[in-house]
Amino acid sequence: MKKLFLVILAVLACIVLATEYAVEDELLTPDFSPKIGGTLRLVLASTPESYLLYGTLDSSSYSVIMGPMFSTLVEMHPVTNEIRPALAKSWTVSPDGKEVTFKLREAYWSDGTPITADDVVFTFQYFVMNQYARGNSIARFTIPDEQGVNRMIEWVKVDDKTVKAILPSPYGAFFTVLSHVYIYPKHKLEPLIDKNDLGSVNKIWLSNTDPKEIVVNGPFKPVQLITDQKLVLERNPYFWKVDRFGNKLPYFDRVEYLIIRDAEMRTAKFMAGEIDFMAIASRDYPMLKEQELTGKTPYVVYATQPNQPTPSPIHISFNFDVDDPDLRGLFTRLEFREAMEYALNRQRIIDEVFAGLAIPDAGLILPSNKAFYNPKVEQLLRPYDLKKANELLDKLGLTKRDKEGYRLFPNGKRVEFNLLVQNSPKEYQDVALIFVEDLKKLGIKVNLQILDSSLVGEMFGAGNFQAGIRAFGNQPDLQLRKAIWQPGTQLYYWHYSTMDKTKTPPQPVFENMFDWEKRIWELFEKAQIEMDPSKRKAYYDEVQELYHIYLPVIFVCKGMNIWGFNKTLGNAGLTDDGMLRFTVWTSYRK
Amino acid sequence: MWSFIVRRILIMIPMMFFVSVICFVVTELQPGDFLSQYLENPRISPEQIESLRRELALDKPAYQRYFMWIKNIVTKGDFGYSFSYQRPVIELIWERLGWTVAISVLTIGFQWLFATLMGIYSALHPYTLIDYTLTVLGFVGLSIPEFFLALVLVYLVLRVGGTAVGGLFSPQFIGAPMSWAKFVDLLKHLWLPIVVVGVSGLAGLMRIMRSNMLDVLGSPFVTALKARGLDEKTVRKHVIKNALNPLVSIAGMELPNVFSGTIIASIVLNLPTIGPFFYNALLNHDQYLVMAFLLFIALITQIGNLLADIALALLDPRIRIS
Repeated sequence: MKKLFLVILAVLACIVLATEYAVEDELLTPDFSPKIGGTLRLVLASTPESYLLYGTLDSSSYSVIMGPMFSTLVEMHPVTNEIRPALAKSWTVSPDGKEVTFKLREAYWSDGTPITADDVVFTFQYFVMNQYARGNSIARFTIPDEQGVNRMIEWVKVDDKTVKAILPSPYGAFFTVLSHVYIYPKHKLEPLIDKNDLGSVNKIWLSNTDPKEIVVNGPFKPVQLITDQKLVLERNPYFWKVDRFGNKLPYFDRVEYLIIRDAEMRTAKFMAGEIDFMAIASRDYPMLKEQELTGKTPYVVYATQPNQPTPSPIHISFNFDVDDPDLRGLFTRLEFREAMEYALNRQRIIDEVFAGLAIPDAGLILPSNKAFYNPKVEQLLRPYDLKKANELLDKLGLTKRDKEGYRLFPNGKRVEFNLLVQNSPKEYQDVALIFVEDLKKLGIKVNLQILDSSLVGEMFGAGNFQAGIRAFGNQPDLQLRKAIWQPGTQLYYWHYSTMDKTKTPPQPVFENMFDWEKRIWELFEKAQIEMDPSKRKAYYDEVQELYHIYLPVIFVCKGMNIWGFNKTLGNAGLTDDGMLRFTVWTSYRK
Repeated sequence: MWSFIVRRILIMIPMMFFVSVICFVVTELQPGDFLSQYLENPRISPEQIESLRRELALDKPAYQRYFMWIKNIVTKGDFGYSFSYQRPVIELIWERLGWTVAISVLTIGFQWLFATLMGIYSALHPYTLIDYTLTVLGFVGLSIPEFFLALVLVYLVLRVGGTAVGGLFSPQFIGAPMSWAKFVDLLKHLWLPIVVVGVSGLAGLMRIMRSNMLDVLGSPFVTALKARGLDEKTVRKHVIKNALNPLVSIAGMELPNVFSGTIIASIVLNLPTIGPFFYNALLNHDQYLVMAFLLFIALITQIGNLLADIALALLDPRIRIS
């Protein structure tokens, strides 16, 4: 027995020695003397529905899978957003930009099996490119070839440790989209899939799976799930990262996620010191900060430059295809939209609605995104100026007014429209109220239509609105938001006549596009097939400028990210640039 | 007696059918469906939403889905799948039933024990200071919303330095094997939900008990008993037994109340009961989950009523089934 144990130990040691470790950089591990061991205490809003990223659409599942449990081929640096090696230790791009060959790291699954090219090909075949998988990413890995025909990216195994991606044409955002593909173990999952029913992938590794069955390649593996109460993860001894002093990562032995549905209770538990790290709602920030300044709290809170896709920047849209011909004529005039931006009191909204915790220059790309942000948009923002707004409206011929002081169209009809807003989150309504107040001063009557969010979503989706307030998430790469910001796509909802919905997939209708919309469409297409980062930036710079000059939508502001940390947490806090520094594998207990 | 019980059970079947139709219609009337939450998620392409719609049969007309659902229940005992969890709803409800039943039963016990005792005491000492105090306290409990009471109590507990708020266990005991320390920890947490949920029903029950007692105390048979020279204690025993009757007959109604009444309190107090889970399913349009739960509540109501009737028959010899 003892002998067997020794043999196992020896084998284990060999594997561990054979691992080609990645060294975590100084940005994430600034401290020289990290302590190893202990439990990191985090929080989830609900029980994760699945351990398989591609079989679920549940955000709690995303939180525990993406990062804490699973790794990708290439990853985005948690602070700088730069692409860096992960399970792939290196890669080469062919000169024509259509073949990318990845060399895999010598690394192991949490049960000791080597991670191979088979796992990568398997993950793409059965999950990423499986149209029946709920969380598939087919759209992101399908790009037009040189003839403009959409084709899928192909994955080929070269040998056990080499895998090749064959692209129909060069694809600029390839590494960005790849950094969202978490690799799953073929040897554990293949037997569970019914090959005759590819929808069966949605039914594997659900929340009722024994956590011990789950095999991971990230820093932690699950060991226990107690429904609606707690999820416990344990260190994966085969994790393939070390810190710059040679210590194996992660530092913590365990991660415990408390499952707490109610936001107030989460805050209470955080204040009591029972949670080490979590996102804080902006409304709680003043109270928590005030307490923190007394010096007696177990925590600190920081408002950081927004760098997360959520919460989304709010924007105001005017339906270019609205039924009412007077309104349609008005909304499609640039002067009108300019007047609307002049009437938007961003500073008041930031102060009153966001308690000062928001930035005004939020557009398609966030200022914290050094790779793509175009600072020129800051000069393009039209400042709050009701006089200018009035002049522009007069110029549009809306000079006559009725007895109540509202402007009239030349045909004598009152300038009046409905503004569609969903009832939650509450910020949307507050923004609408301030905007409506200012428009009244301009002599424009706005009727607020505040409705249930799912109903509002359907109305926007059907183009059934006059004007609206809405929000869409940012992403590090604009390519990933093509489905929103490129004219003729399913979320370009303020001008649906640019899309022919009767075709599958829907096709753009160029004759219904303005010239600047055609240009935006073109820029998205060009940026997609460009592999040179500086050229891609130039394309996206122009898109950002066009959006702020022609105002397809008017961006309001973006709430800052607020994070709470327990004071005993090491390697956690803000960087010198005011960016969030925290990962589950580099934080430790002081 | 047995034929009565069998008849009552048979009546339940058409009742449940009507309930299921009503529940289905109500959930159908809710704007949007399970997929509307994903419509504006750029991660999910429109083709994917279409294929999900087919997979979940949401593209079929409502009546067809209803009959499919009923057919599966009747023929296979399958109450349907949860759209989001992709698991049978029965399994999901079952997972969360244990604590729900435990907390409900304890709460009912707390309510009834205190309500009857308070009612009896008030009736025996009517219009005294204590009577008024108990009544006022009961009504305060009735009028404060549960979630607010929960928040106030949580605040007070934290204020006096306690930490046992939210959930049923301290984090270190969740999932630990049962031990004395864990049991003590449970007790430290458990009183809060029991008081919060229990207090709201206290006043009503107490007032019913009090007025029953006063009625019975003034009835001729009590005078007769007293005239025959029975001692105070024996008379009181008869009075209480008679006064309990109406209370027993409403007991059946109480069961579903406790199940559904805990929803908001459970969310605020982070209890692992079915309430918050149901609430979430409702928001997400997880239709079969919602309907299975509503059917379950309806069933509990009917069973509760049946049990109350049986209990009444056993308690009161005047009631006979004919």
